[in-house]
Amino acid sequence: MGERAAVEAAVTEAEEAAVDEPLGVGIGWRPEIDLTVERLEGVDFVEVIAENVRPDRLPESLRVLRARGVPVIPHGVGLGVGGAEPPDPDRLAHLAACAQALGAPLVSEHLAFVRAGGMEAGHLLPVPRTREALRVVVDNVRRAQDALEVPLALENVAALFGWPQDEMTEAEFLGGLVEATGVKLLVDVANLYTNEVNLGLRAVDALDVLPLSELAYVHVAGGHAHGGVWHDTHTDHVPDEVLAILSELCARVDPPGVLLEWDADYPSDESLQSELDRIRKAMVRD
Amino acid sequence: MTDLDRRPPEAARETGPGHDVVGAAGPGQGAGHDVVGAAGPGQGAGGAAGSDARAELARAQAELLAALVAGGRAPEGFDEERLRIQTSSLIAKRRGVVARLRPDLLRALGGDFAAEFAAYADGRPKPSGGSRADARDFAEALRAAGRIAGEPAPRARRWWARLTRRRTG
Repeated sequence: MGERAAVEAAVTEAEEAAVDEPLGVGIGWRPEIDLTVERLEGVDFVEVIAENVRPDRLPESLRVLRARGVPVIPHGVGLGVGGAEPPDPDRLAHLAACAQALGAPLVSEHLAFVRAGGMEAGHLLPVPRTREALRVVVDNVRRAQDALEVPLALENVAALFGWPQDEMTEAEFLGGLVEATGVKLLVDVANLYTNEVNLGLRAVDALDVLPLSELAYVHVAGGHAHGGVWHDTHTDHVPDEVLAILSELCARVDPPGVLLEWDADYPSDESLQSELDRIRKAMVRD
Repeated sequence: MTDLDRRPPEAARETGPGHDVVGAAGPGQGAGHDVVGAAGPGQGAGGAAGSDARAELARAQAELLAALVAGGRAPEGFDEERLRIQTSSLIAKRRGVVARLRPDLLRALGGDFAAEFAAYADGRPKPSGGSRADARDFAEALRAAGRIAGEPAPRARRWWARLTRRRTG
């Protein structure tokens, strides 16, 4: 059997094994650290930015990981399910194709809007958390779910501001979405920390309200403080405060997966390995 | 297999690292699009998200985004200092991606890179073609201002742009 055929066969086998199993500890796969991710010890699953791959031309590194049985989750950043328009069918089709090509157990995106009025934000912006907006986002999420063959998980975002119209917290809004649509949760504890520092919203309060029984997995990341504001840059070591929130979460629920996000200014392989080890330690219940 | 065989594919190289919100279908997308959300088959409850709710959300988000990326006035009730921080953060994010895509510009501008990018991006939303279009537009602005020399770069279409072209063209 040629190498390619062997990879194909292994991918099919791993595909069947991936569903409904705990994800474990993982790291965001990025092209810049592809070989590092393959070499790191104890990478149980990875995520790939969905907009950065073509399902018909998957990076060789992802194929190698899949052949090893490592689940790969497409993580979208451009859908804008919190936007005023129904989610773009082309973007949904792309997410679905990524999930299929990768044999992914689920797809994740964000509770955010990324464009409006013909303009691109270039990043994830918080949705006004009103009952009216919730109805729109519920409809958007249902449309997304209809287009995907695997479950969708939505992530809480890091915000630098709140809307004056806000009637509920982000945790309450996500709770409403879960209740209405059955969408899964991707809880980013670094984003909870960011909102605690920048907006005074206590992370533990969010953990108390979020329906953690619907947790798909968790994000962990580092950032830096600048002028009293925490910037969730994914370019630095995870601060102890973020790991403390992870521990708080693990005291409430056994998370199916926890994934480190590191997006630029990559450190040494040893440094990334040590970050994964710190995450594992923080997950151990007292 | 050697490491040389394992170069990232074109798509991944082009779009660059991290959480780059890429490849929008650009301005005008709304025109041919089902903006007000007539609920599809089997989406009875979707009717709850009627045209009024969508229209109001669209208005509010567009007004805020204009303030954040297009030099618009801050909508009433927002903390204006917070919006300024968000604006700077969005520009810094764009700048970081452009710096990685165009190390030549980073070298050419040296310590002026951040200020030059801020001057370019101030009040100018990220183009619909994503970060590569942003990098190209920045380079064009620098050429037009005489800050760098050279010929305009050819406009290479990204795969995502091809995919969504029918919406914009």
